Amino acid sequence: MTRKQKRLTVIGGALGFLGLATALTFYALGQKASYFYMPADLQQATLPPGERIRLGGLVEEGTIVRGQGTEVAFSVTDKEKSVKVVFNGLLPDLFREEQGVITEGTFRPDGVFVADSVLAKHDETYMPKEVADSLKAKGVWQESTQ
Amino acid sequence: MIVETGHFALVLAFALALVQSSVPLVGARFGNERMMAVGGPVAITGFAMIALSFAALTIAYVQSDFSVANVWENSHSLKPMLFKITGTWGNHEGSMLLWVLILTFFGAQVAAFGGNLPASLRANVLAVQGWIGAAFMLFILATSNPFARLTPAPFEGRDLNPILQDIGLAIHPPMLYLGYVGFSVCFSFAVAALIDGRIDAAWARWVRPWTLAAWTCLTGGIAMGSYWAYYELGWGGFWFWDPVENASFMPWLAGTALLHSALVMEKRSALKIWTLLLAILTFSLSLLGTFLVRSGVLTSVHAFATDPSRGVFILAILTVFIGGSLALFAFRASSLSAGGIFQPISREGALVLNNLFLTTAAATVLIGTLYPLFIEAVSGDKISVGAPFFNLTFGLLMIPLLAVVPFGPMLAWKRGDLPGAAQRLMFAFGGALLAVLVVLLFVDGATVFAALGAGLAFWLILGALTDIVLKAGIASVKPAVALRRLVGLPRSVFGTALAHLGLGLTVLGIVGVVSLETENIVTMRPGETLQVSGYTLRFEGIQPFKGPNYTEDQGRFVLSGSGGRALGEIVSAKRFYPVRQMPTTEAGIKTLGLSQLYIALGDATADGGVVVRVWWKPMVTLIWLGGLVMMIAGVTSLMDRRLRVGAPAKRARPGLSAS
Amino acid sequence: MLFWVVAALLTLAACLAVLLPLVRRPSVADSGGSHDLEVYRDQLGEVERDASRGLIGAVEAEQARAEIGRRILRVGTPEVVPASPPPAMRAAGMAAVLAVPLVAWGLYAFLGSPDLPSQPLQERLAKNPADSSVDELVARAEAFLSANPKDGRGWDVLAPIYLRIGRAGDAVIAYRNTIAINGATAARESGLGEAIAVAAGGMVSAEAEAAFKRALALEAGNAKAHFYLASALVQEGKLDEAANAWRAMLGALPADSPWRSPTEQAIAEAERRMTVAAGEPKGPSQDEIDAAANMSAQDRAAMIETMVAQLDERLRANPQDAEGWRRLVRSHQVLGNADAARDALQRGVAALGTESEEARGLQAFGASLGLAKTE
Repeated sequence: MTRKQKRLTVIGGALGFLGLATALTFYALGQKASYFYMPADLQQATLPPGERIRLGGLVEEGTIVRGQGTEVAFSVTDKEKSVKVVFNGLLPDLFREEQGVITEGTFRPDGVFVADSVLAKHDETYMPKEVADSLKAKGVWQESTQ
Repeated sequence: MIVETGHFALVLAFALALVQSSVPLVGARFGNERMMAVGGPVAITGFAMIALSFAALTIAYVQSDFSVANVWENSHSLKPMLFKITGTWGNHEGSMLLWVLILTFFGAQVAAFGGNLPASLRANVLAVQGWIGAAFMLFILATSNPFARLTPAPFEGRDLNPILQDIGLAIHPPMLYLGYVGFSVCFSFAVAALIDGRIDAAWARWVRPWTLAAWTCLTGGIAMGSYWAYYELGWGGFWFWDPVENASFMPWLAGTALLHSALVMEKRSALKIWTLLLAILTFSLSLLGTFLVRSGVLTSVHAFATDPSRGVFILAILTVFIGGSLALFAFRASSLSAGGIFQPISREGALVLNNLFLTTAAATVLIGTLYPLFIEAVSGDKISVGAPFFNLTFGLLMIPLLAVVPFGPMLAWKRGDLPGAAQRLMFAFGGALLAVLVVLLFVDGATVFAALGAGLAFWLILGALTDIVLKAGIASVKPAVALRRLVGLPRSVFGTALAHLGLGLTVLGIVGVVSLETENIVTMRPGETLQVSGYTLRFEGIQPFKGPNYTEDQGRFVLSGSGGRALGEIVSAKRFYPVRQMPTTEAGIKTLGLSQLYIALGDATADGGVVVRVWWKPMVTLIWLGGLVMMIAGVTSLMDRRLRVGAPAKRARPGLSAS
Repeated sequence: MLFWVVAALLTLAACLAVLLPLVRRPSVADSGGSHDLEVYRDQLGEVERDASRGLIGAVEAEQARAEIGRRILRVGTPEVVPASPPPAMRAAGMAAVLAVPLVAWGLYAFLGSPDLPSQPLQERLAKNPADSSVDELVARAEAFLSANPKDGRGWDVLAPIYLRIGRAGDAVIAYRNTIAINGATAARESGLGEAIAVAAGGMVSAEAEAAFKRALALEAGNAKAHFYLASALVQEGKLDEAANAWRAMLGALPADSPWRSPTEQAIAEAERRMTVAAGEPKGPSQDEIDAAANMSAQDRAAMIETMVAQLDERLRANPQDAEGWRRLVRSHQVLGNADAARDALQRGVAALGTESEEARGLQAFGASLGLAKTE
């Protein structure tokens, strides 16, 4: 091989690799990114069964039910609609009524959301950004609620 | 008096930064040596001013001077002294001051120890440092002044976020910033070379120690942050692929690539332009990280004290520095002399492969991190890109990279001997194969993935050891000679081997935890026991406890091994900080060998029990021990004599010139 | 003073850092080539080491040496730039020296608070309370109470102080706390009523009235309660009843009571208003509303509307009348027209200047009527 051919091989190999990596990245984005919904958005959206999503909103007042052992049920609301969520595990420290949360999981056929993670950030002024934006858009929540 | 002196010193440092960013630059442009010489003393004085300013703020924290708004917002007179001090940088304003302190510290280092640099390069480097410093000092003074005052002063502060009241805060942010900001020196060198329009042969050698130092600190900062989140958040995870974590990980990946490409540049005068670009990109990613962490544009579980309005300012800084440097690069790169080409099978070929993989991996992480922002801007949809994405893309990229790592040091520069290298690695390969078999056959519940992962980890570890053994000639010469050779090996050889070894340890830890971890969520009443991986855990009950500025409910557990061997007590607690009305979880962790038992308390149930989450985390400590080994590797490499030469001949040791 | 000395010294140091290199003779610069040579020499040494260890073969070593040799040959002498500083440069350098104090002092004058001393907590706590300002004492008491919220004595002391320094809202909370912890007394209940009234801009709301009545139940002769209850009558337009109440109160007051003079003034004011009442347009008075009660529904509505419209008209012409705005807002509210009341409130606040004391009083008054601030 000449010098030039060698160089071309190397460059071609690198480009091929980058192409593969790009393809992989976008394939993975299509497959693995999960969409964020508020309860009211769920009516318009058509979700394939079993699709993983993030569901955000406020923990509705008076809906937290601690079941047998470690199971907890509560409703996530955006003050328009609310969705029942069940979760098996330890709730985050700042999980409270009327507090913003993001849950991640899938819907059961009966319309109950089975969460495998519940997020409430470790900052007392925290309102998850997606939740804050959506609630602000609906006029339910204001920046300075204190 | 002290507070205002600190404030004044900060303003003065800003004025000096303005001088530093202009006068040496003009001097270098017109060849005026006096003006070029201004950079050094100004950089050192600027550092002294910022140090004074930072000290003043720290004193205000120590003395609970609530006439300083920043102290009032983030401190409390009852807080333990350590957290009063660390609280100085446990908030936005203070942490930005720390950022600038470290920046000017590095600038002063360049000024103090850069005597062997060509005057114009030194002047330009200091000027670029001056720009960065001036921009961030202006940011502090304009939007986040830590010296804003309150009259009348309140008599009690609002306390520091309890999550941050931990020894982790003392170490993690300074280390991380040392890493982030350390790369600013590489950036400055790159931009200075672009301004100058020429790259000295010694450029890579001058930049390497900075890269190494920054990389070492960043490695430590990330490892420390990971461990902190692991024990403090009570979720038992060591890495969440959270935007804030990615923000520190991307510069690390790019910095690791830079470390390797600078090596090629130094030895073979190749990859010059690429290395320059990498230096710019690495610091750009550091700036991006600062922006992501400070602005809160992305949802993160770790972001504290975010403020979108300040984010806009940092975004402006980001745009100017990244856009400016890349534009300069595009404008000037063609005029720089390109390096030579080389054989694909050679040390430099292997390092190029390393760069290709690392930068691609960094790009993947970048895309995954910013994709939600992009989608939201385009379609308004909100999506989240989480661990599944990163595990798939990043994981797939890492496997081939890790597989070729041991080959790199085995190959000679210029023209490598691949079959020869493979032959030398036979032993390591055999060991890795053995590890796969052992895991498959003897470890309960191990998957094929776990076995292959363990094999990969052992391949890395044994490959690194093989490198040392061969370079010292331990197998081929008499022990005494081998020992002498071992001692005489350049430190950088040890550095390389240790870094790769540490990487192997981390991989082993990750594989162990991911594939063999067990988790139990149970309700326990006092006196009940739980079997975890051959250990017996007995719940003793809950006791209240009062700390200096918190109260807590401590759950006490007694651990015993097989045959009832007592292994001590584990205390896990739910804490409550009344000033901030915030609860936190204090996980109970027991280290057993390399593994850990991790207990987090949940809510009490109606029947007098408490929900308890118990993890068995096999080999988890290796994740951070590996990071520690990588840090030691960085320090070892830094001590290499080679990094200190590159000085003009008159300073070289006589022995060298005689040879 | 010490601060200024320190600041001047720091500035001097900073200026010197710029000045000294500019006036000092620069050391002889080394040429760039020598750095490169050093690197190449080191590379040669490394090739030797590797070769002697057998890590690279003899042929490779020879090639490497040759390549490094070629690079050494390429090292040229860098072009030397003449280094005589033109006058423009010198001027620029001096400008830089001057820029340091100018920028620093200019910015600091804008940002700093040079007169404010540091205030370490220990020092402040050790200071004799008598030397502290009221604000500081209040701050200390607040700090103490936030740590010990069940301390009744603290709330008892703090409540009237709050009222005196104009923090009526806080006074309401403090009075409620002391009543909850220490139990009700006439002084505390009447204080609570006063705080509520002051917070509402002087209007005695139903809540305040209830507090005053509780005070009177505890101590029939409580002057403060009597005084404010009479004021409530004025609010309702019952000027003569109010004057009578005050007169009765005055009769019962001891000669040295501090309430004497305010009560006398209040009576005089009420009498004055009774004499001019006929000539001045005002909101619907009790008489008018009583009159309206006897009309047909239509007429009544028309009459009230006319009166409200008159008031509105007058306020448009002469908006700097806080009392008038209050009446307008109240009228709308009484008529069950909350939107109009809110509108009037907003217009009133805007007319009085959003930040003014009067506007704030009006806001508070609106709040006491249940008209929440709408934004």
